[in-house]
Amino acid sequence: MRTLKTTITNIKSNKQLFFASVGTITIALSILGLFLFVYINLNSVLSFWNDQVQLIVYLEDEVSMHEKKKLEKMVSSHSEVESFDFVSREKAWKNFQAMFSEKSAFLKGMGFNPLPASFNLKIKPTPNRLEKIRTLAEQMKQLPGVESVEYGEEWISRFEGFIILMRVFLLALGALLSLGAVLIISNTVKLSISSRKDEIELMLLSGGTPGFIQLPFFLEGILHGLLGAVVSLALMKSIHLYVVNQFQGAIETFGRSMDFQFIPFPLIMTIVMASILVGWLGSFFSLHQFLGVYKKL
Amino acid sequence: MIQLYNVYKTYNNTPALVDISFIIKKGAFVFVTGPSGAGKSTLLKLLYRWENYDRGQVLVNGTNVGKIKFNRLWKLRRKIGVVFQDYKLLQRKTILENVAFVLEIVGADKKTIRFKAWEALKNVGLSHKKDAYPMELSGGEQQRVAIARALVNNPKILLADEPTGNLDPELASEILHLFEQANNEGTTVVFATHSQIILQEGNHAVITLKQGKIVDTRVVV
Repeated sequence: MRTLKTTITNIKSNKQLFFASVGTITIALSILGLFLFVYINLNSVLSFWNDQVQLIVYLEDEVSMHEKKKLEKMVSSHSEVESFDFVSREKAWKNFQAMFSEKSAFLKGMGFNPLPASFNLKIKPTPNRLEKIRTLAEQMKQLPGVESVEYGEEWISRFEGFIILMRVFLLALGALLSLGAVLIISNTVKLSISSRKDEIELMLLSGGTPGFIQLPFFLEGILHGLLGAVVSLALMKSIHLYVVNQFQGAIETFGRSMDFQFIPFPLIMTIVMASILVGWLGSFFSLHQFLGVYKKL
Repeated sequence: MIQLYNVYKTYNNTPALVDISFIIKKGAFVFVTGPSGAGKSTLLKLLYRWENYDRGQVLVNGTNVGKIKFNRLWKLRRKIGVVFQDYKLLQRKTILENVAFVLEIVGADKKTIRFKAWEALKNVGLSHKKDAYPMELSGGEQQRVAIARALVNNPKILLADEPTGNLDPELASEILHLFEQANNEGTTVVFATHSQIILQEGNHAVITLKQGKIVDTRVVV
């Protein structure tokens, strides 16, 4: 109770500085949060696309009935395959024609069907689905009667690479902004300590325990972090709501089951805890520096 | 109560205390005197470990103060009350709050704080000004508040560093009387002063320092 009272008195006597410091932390966290927001949504786009990915096994034109039956048996009994379609050459051609009906004159002019027959495989949703598709594709490629396999590997890999890069970028940005926040909080708490130097000296002289002396300042640092996190998360939530209101329609045309996601709860807790830790670290450094002088006496 | 054995202290190779040895018994009243820069303040600071010494031994209440770790110093300092020439009162607090602050530091409960702080102010004749701020008091009154604050925790030892240095002789004598009163109640008092008038007025033991060395002692029988 006394600690809280002292902390509030400390903050009141350095009000402007406290709010400036909380504001800076809010901005730093919001920058990080915005990137996180983008990252989370890109990630969800990736997983949405991931779900759409099918493994298409194109068959050779000269595939024998026996080979086809063997492939069908293998596909239907494979533990990773959820379902599959067989698209004959004729069906593929019909689909193609339907899709490009406006070019029908050109299509009619073609005297032959250039499309191969194929098996379209839907793979069971598991966390390492893409990896399983890759392995299965490699296996299928080797089988007799298979001309080629396709599952959009290149762009998925590129997109995955981008996500990894984004993750590294976020971590680096987070580390850099945290360091900045530690320095800002440390300076604010240092000023708070300086303005109460006489009081702290008196506490030291009169037998105040280190805990008694340091606790209000630790609490002040922690409050910096906590308030910064809460304000920036509120800001992020408003941005999220705005984006959802404005662009949800657009994203639904892109993928029906998709929506703009907010930072998930465990990550929110991580941000708050990390911010509190940053606040504590800031006050720890300035207290360590200040009391260090007295320790040397 | 206080024992010093061959204590040396230097500041940047300049000796501040040289081979200091003495014993102050429990309940004694001792003046430490000498010209400015003789080492009076340094000597007191060693007793409450605001400074540490280079060689020798300082024992307070049987504890070797030089060996106490920073995190444990509060135990020593709770046994010692200190009064400074510049009072060291907190300007943002009333005088009652100033005295109560020391009780808060040691974790006394609210009721005890209120009662003891008021009583301490009453003992130095300032209870009627409890809500005044230090700036509103005279030098003598401020020093009385500082004494009340030093005594409020019933310390075993009371150290005073030139507590009458800023006061006129009449007030100085009044302040000395407060220390004697505390001594009569059993507190060991070490009173640093360079004032001859104070030394003559109080018939107590005297340790005289010059350039960091003990040059004379007066023992009271």
